[in-house]
Amino acid sequence: MLGWSSFEPFLISGLALGGVYALSGVGLVVLYRATGVLYLAFGAVGAMGAYLAWQTTPPNTPVGPVGWILCIVFCAVVTLAYGVIFGPPLAGRGPLVQAVCTLGLALVLFGVVDLVWPSSGGASRSLTLPTDNYGFVAGGVTVNTTQIISLVVGVVLTVGTGAFLRYSKLGTAMRAMANDREITATLGVPVRRVEAAAWLGCGVLAGVAGILLADLSALDDTTLVFTVVISALAAALIGRLRSITLTFVAALVIGLVHDLITPITSISDYRDMTPFVLAAIALLVVSRGQVMTRSREEA
Amino acid sequence: MNRREQRRSSRAGVAGAAVAVLVAVSAAAGCSSLNSGSGGKAASAPTASTPTVSTSKCGTKPGVKATGSPIVLGGITTKEPGTDFSDIGTTAAAYFDCVNDNGGINGHPVKYYPETEQTNPSQIASLAHQLVSTDHAVGIVGSSSIIECSVDNSYWKKEGFYVLGAGIDPECWSTPNTISVNMGPRYSSDGAVAHALNSHVSKIAFDQSNVPGTTYIAGGPNALAKAKHVPIQDFTENVPLTSANSVAIKLANAAGPSGAVVLNFTPPEALLILQAAQKLGLEDKVKEWGCSTPCNTDFLAKALGPKWNGKFFVNAELTPLNGDTSQTAGLYQAILAKYGKNVTGGVGSFSQMGFTDAEIATHALETVKGAYTVKSVNAAFKNIKNYVSGMQCQAFTYGNYSEHIPNNMDYTVTPDNGKMVLTQGCTAIPSVDPQIAAYRKLAGTAPQASSSGSGS
Repeated sequence: MLGWSSFEPFLISGLALGGVYALSGVGLVVLYRATGVLYLAFGAVGAMGAYLAWQTTPPNTPVGPVGWILCIVFCAVVTLAYGVIFGPPLAGRGPLVQAVCTLGLALVLFGVVDLVWPSSGGASRSLTLPTDNYGFVAGGVTVNTTQIISLVVGVVLTVGTGAFLRYSKLGTAMRAMANDREITATLGVPVRRVEAAAWLGCGVLAGVAGILLADLSALDDTTLVFTVVISALAAALIGRLRSITLTFVAALVIGLVHDLITPITSISDYRDMTPFVLAAIALLVVSRGQVMTRSREEA
Repeated sequence: MNRREQRRSSRAGVAGAAVAVLVAVSAAAGCSSLNSGSGGKAASAPTASTPTVSTSKCGTKPGVKATGSPIVLGGITTKEPGTDFSDIGTTAAAYFDCVNDNGGINGHPVKYYPETEQTNPSQIASLAHQLVSTDHAVGIVGSSSIIECSVDNSYWKKEGFYVLGAGIDPECWSTPNTISVNMGPRYSSDGAVAHALNSHVSKIAFDQSNVPGTTYIAGGPNALAKAKHVPIQDFTENVPLTSANSVAIKLANAAGPSGAVVLNFTPPEALLILQAAQKLGLEDKVKEWGCSTPCNTDFLAKALGPKWNGKFFVNAELTPLNGDTSQTAGLYQAILAKYGKNVTGGVGSFSQMGFTDAEIATHALETVKGAYTVKSVNAAFKNIKNYVSGMQCQAFTYGNYSEHIPNNMDYTVTPDNGKMVLTQGCTAIPSVDPQIAAYRKLAGTAPQASSSGSGS
């Protein structure tokens, strides 16, 4: 029987991973609420940004401010450009078409990354941050500052985004668009500008998430392109693509559960299923609730 | 339908679409290897140091391009996210390019087809048929795949091929018509575990990629640990790893302060676990860290840094190159420097395997009198006896045996300020592993190699 001490070391690593998933999930939800687009290229953009940061850093040294800035600017520009160029023509299409178009962008970027930085069985790249070298000991392992930053950034951005949507003029416009884009436009809200702001913000989050995940997980295109999207999308689904708070909590739970079941040998090999299982459970609970509500209304 | 219901319906539609996309993205992740590009040098890959031997040594007519009818050879390697052995095929190709530029084999150039697969049995079977029926390959050299031996073995047997590769799955060692220049994951893990046991560790945590054949691979290390009455705990990980931190914590906890962690992963995945261990301050939480042969690359030693000096011990199936001034080592580095632009991992065990396969094949092909047919080429392969390549501890013999483990003596290396250096010379893999015992009973123990490029 495993005791608390068996799980304790996995708590921080799970929370840190969850923090990065939260960044990604919140970015997806904000963009979805403002534009109606499920941005599946989030991981691919972040991955390419992380590779650029690695490329501009001398070998075997941590990524400095230049790498960070390059990564975030790249992700912001690519995401904004996609939103500005493809957003308006696709605005009238269904959500699935819009989501699949972003998957197209993801696959293009994935191909470019693999072409420029080919994978190899004999060697790989690794991205480290200066904050990896500082930390404190808890539960028998060193909790490094990057892990703390990942969690704190997740919390701050979730709270900040929530406050921004509630109290700022731009945030109010985004919420209005989420409710009804046509009516919001007729009220004189500059729809294109508001959408561009949402795309830009989402791109910045993709950059931050990309570089943090490359450090916490791996500078590997497959991992960054797909793992982030799967986990973040699962969190966003649990948040029903509306609630930032619920998305944040779900992302943390996904990261935590994923790492906390590691020492349980019998199910450890299946921990990569965590986002799917949690999203499926959440959707089942939600749909059951909806059916019961509808039954009550009809009665 | 009222407005509220419309919104609810719309959200349900989006959620449904999102679920569909979630599944599609996962499927794309699984298939992503199909998009993997090849070629190009990984920026962090170590390059061959300044070669001391001329590439003209790889042929009998230096500087003369071979112009005869080509000898067609092929090989199949796994290349997918988290598991990539393609450097073995690309290095073999580089060796044959060098041979072709220096007179070829009895005047014939080698036309080599290095194919890659993604652990898909039907794809692997198709590639084998393509090599034989379409490309008209007369020999199979440099294959290294997770399941190729088990998928194609009966086909090679039926067509009369005696394969010369770098094995992974059990059938690469237990069948009469496939031989490997390497030890493979099981026997190399045996070597790494044997080193840990000789360091008197109290427990072993053995971890490997969750790919077909893990039970077979773990069989060796478990037999060794059991014989020494040391507990061993087996783990597997899905690759690519998504949370190396949790894996590193799990392994260090399982091994304990007087135990050892032994890894059996490709260098990129092993690096993730070791770097995670370093970031979490776990490198000193166990007595010893070990790894099977893929970790024997300077790339890994450089990426890890000095904290792992003398702490991390890697089994080396082939001759450690650091400080090796032999002609074989020089030629290997010269070929990588001149012809190895597609060898993305640079100097390391995988490229050594490709080099050794090609070198032994070239030697065998030089003995062929008359036309190069499937029959003559494979008879030459089968007749290889006591060939000393300079890359292995022992002389290499194919022979007429029901199974083949010709390389069963290993080295151990450890990182030393960015280089892998020798810490233990040729040591026989213990016969406690029943497979090794069975092979030695059948074929005896080959003599230890003392010079390179000899034999028949």
